[in-house]
Amino acid sequence: MRFKRMTAIAAVAVVAFGTASCAKKDEPAAPTSKFAAGTTMDRIAKAGKFNVGTKWDQPLFGLKGLAKAPEGFDVEIVKIIAAELGIKDDKVHYEETVSKVREDFISSGRVDMIVATYTINDARKEKISFAGPYYEAGQDILVAKDDTTITGPEIFKTDATKKVCSVTGSTPAKKIAEYATAPGQVVLFDVYTKCLDALKNKQVAAVTTDNVILMGYVSKEPDKFKVLGKPFTKEPYGIGVKKDDKVFRDWINDIIEKAFADGRYKAAWDKTVGAIAPMPKEIKVNRY
Amino acid sequence: MPEPLIELNAVNKWFGSLHVLRDVNLTVDRGEVVVVIGPSGSGKSTLCRAINRLETINSGTIIFDGKPLPEEGKQLARLRSEVGMVFQSFNLFSHLTILENVTLGPIKVRRESKAVAKERAMKLLDRVGIGNQADKHPGQLSGGQQQRAAIARALAMQPKAMLFDEPTSALDPEMVGEVLDVMTSLAVEGMTMIVVTHEMGFARHAAKRVVFMADGELVEQAPPAEFFDNPRSERARDFLSKVLQH
Amino acid sequence: MSILIDNFDLFANGLLGTIRLCLLAAVGSLLLGGLIAAFRVSPLPPLRALGTGYVTVFRNMPLTVVMFLSAFGLPPLGVNEASFLNVPGLNFLIPQLGNNAFFRFALIAIVLYTSAFVCEALRAGINAVPTGQAEAARSLGLTFTQNLRNVVLPQAWKFAVVPIGSVIIAMIKNSAIAGSFGVAGDLMYTSDVLVSQEGLPLLPVFLGLSGGYLLLTIPLGLFLDAVERRRAATIR
Ligand SMILES: Nc1ncnc2c1ncn2[C@@H]1O[C@H](COP(=O)(O)OP(=O)(O)O)[C@@H](O)[C@H]1O
Ligand SMILES: [Mg+2]
Repeated sequence: MRFKRMTAIAAVAVVAFGTASCAKKDEPAAPTSKFAAGTTMDRIAKAGKFNVGTKWDQPLFGLKGLAKAPEGFDVEIVKIIAAELGIKDDKVHYEETVSKVREDFISSGRVDMIVATYTINDARKEKISFAGPYYEAGQDILVAKDDTTITGPEIFKTDATKKVCSVTGSTPAKKIAEYATAPGQVVLFDVYTKCLDALKNKQVAAVTTDNVILMGYVSKEPDKFKVLGKPFTKEPYGIGVKKDDKVFRDWINDIIEKAFADGRYKAAWDKTVGAIAPMPKEIKVNRY
Repeated sequence: MPEPLIELNAVNKWFGSLHVLRDVNLTVDRGEVVVVIGPSGSGKSTLCRAINRLETINSGTIIFDGKPLPEEGKQLARLRSEVGMVFQSFNLFSHLTILENVTLGPIKVRRESKAVAKERAMKLLDRVGIGNQADKHPGQLSGGQQQRAAIARALAMQPKAMLFDEPTSALDPEMVGEVLDVMTSLAVEGMTMIVVTHEMGFARHAAKRVVFMADGELVEQAPPAEFFDNPRSERARDFLSKVLQH
Repeated sequence: MSILIDNFDLFANGLLGTIRLCLLAAVGSLLLGGLIAAFRVSPLPPLRALGTGYVTVFRNMPLTVVMFLSAFGLPPLGVNEASFLNVPGLNFLIPQLGNNAFFRFALIAIVLYTSAFVCEALRAGINAVPTGQAEAARSLGLTFTQNLRNVVLPQAWKFAVVPIGSVIIAMIKNSAIAGSFGVAGDLMYTSDVLVSQEGLPLLPVFLGLSGGYLLLTIPLGLFLDAVERRRAATIR
């Protein structure tokens, strides 16, 4: 934890230093932007630096390996928005936003926005605002490749010996608890990789969360796991921004629609999730 | 007809490269009182400790009551319970009362009932003159009282022999006498005793034999009168001249 | 503040969960730590080697790794569900012991890890007992275990109780990572759920969380201070 924070501080320092030296050489004049003064877009464009929160541990959406920046569909969406702000890819500063810090990171201004497989819901809307959804995921179930006994979440009602794993405090954990009948039937860890270890050991029979995340794990070990492919919830993924920053939110929504229409969304999809799941036929952003 | 209780044959002991017991041969008969004297570091304590196997030996044999010393485990524990040991620094169990100190062995090792153990313990404490201290902890007693309690503790096991390793060396002078008195009465009653001490008076009147050790060797042994008045070896003469000056 | 009051029952439950886990873990660690300490001072070289090896391994491994090995390493080795810990009666008092294999694995991990430290604290206490005490006991014919039980440990305990207390305090804090290994219902887990599932703000919830741990550790610390003072008064 401390190590992560230190690398984050180091990264900020490096970025800040980089920006300062660039400004000296190339842009002696005060920065300008095409956006209306006072808007978030204007502030970011003038600063020339974009602080973004993503997941770093979710294959296909936001996964950071040894590379400098995370990779995945969420990151591609970030890049589309950054480009519209006139920010180059290498001026985007990525922070890891694990589930429990996301709202606080936005409210405190530590990041400008969060694209992190972030389900839109009312409780969260009380503290932050969402653009999007840019994708609608749904909770699904991952099982061992040769398992034919688990056909859907109802099985956990009828067979209490079947244990199902998810992550503490997550929406899928809450949902699957509705199907569980025996205490201890839902096993909760802090990360999904532990769920997969438990599944390999046959300590649990299934892992449940959003389908896309599950597919990410399948893509890594296709001969071990499979996803049922029958989502039983709707999980609209949104882009988290500061509460009531309607201008910024609407602007992002415009970009999402534009990118979907002009093929940039498809390119982002094909580059990441495309190998495993078909692209959504339509997206409907919610302009509230 | 004297009958040997403790027999050491060609016993050798090294601490690393230090040869502390050199070919020691010693026989102690039943009821005999042997006083061991010699300069500091000559191996007297090691000799005592070897006899109840607090220290292992490297070669030679030690026979107690007709049997060689057992190696480890229950047999060894039984041997130790038959040989009482009294230390220079008393080593009373500091968390137990005097009475509990004396009854621990009989209860745990001999599996005696508490009542039986206590009854004998009280007799022994009375005998060494500290019956009224039974419920105190060792720290509350004087050195002489503690050492008498330690003797009572050893006697409670009804041992066949008693080993004393400088039992009065840590005592203030005025307390030496009370401990020696107890030891003398034991000697008179016929207890087999090996006593490491520099108390020449005790050696003269209580010991049947004096053994002189130097540099791990048993240099000479003789009845006390003979040894003190007419030591044969140079080293013994040298030692006695130094000790008797003070 | 109102968040803490509104969710008081949840915090209380979490605290109870942590107390249950820590109570079991403390008892287990003291028993196993005592056994390993006995190994380390035993006259038998193989036992001594075993004790030394044990301490070397578990004192130097991060607890997370021990947790991982316990939760995911034991089952392939045949300790499928660690059901031997599902003790009838005890599992009534502590339901997770019966219905959550990962509670049992976490318990095993904490006990394995903590007992290495308990062992060393105890051994330091044993070493602080003058050698003459054990020698006197041996010369009376007490066996190794009788010696340890009746003479050495009762005295070592006095020297070891404060260090062992510190080990237990560290253990209570360490127990927080059990929530990451499938133990539901402890303080850390409860806070996790309140923040990310119920969407409560981070700061007050973590204040409540810290308060819960302090509620356990501070009284223990004060108790140890008192023991320390009493001992300082008696050893002159
Ligand atoms: N445990 C030990 N390890 C190493 N050397 C020892 C040990 N015990 C005694 N010695 C050495 O062995 C020699 C004999 O010691 P000891 O039997 O205590 O002599 P004494 O009792 O006659 O003074 C001394 O040189 C002493 O330093
Ligand atoms: Mg000596």
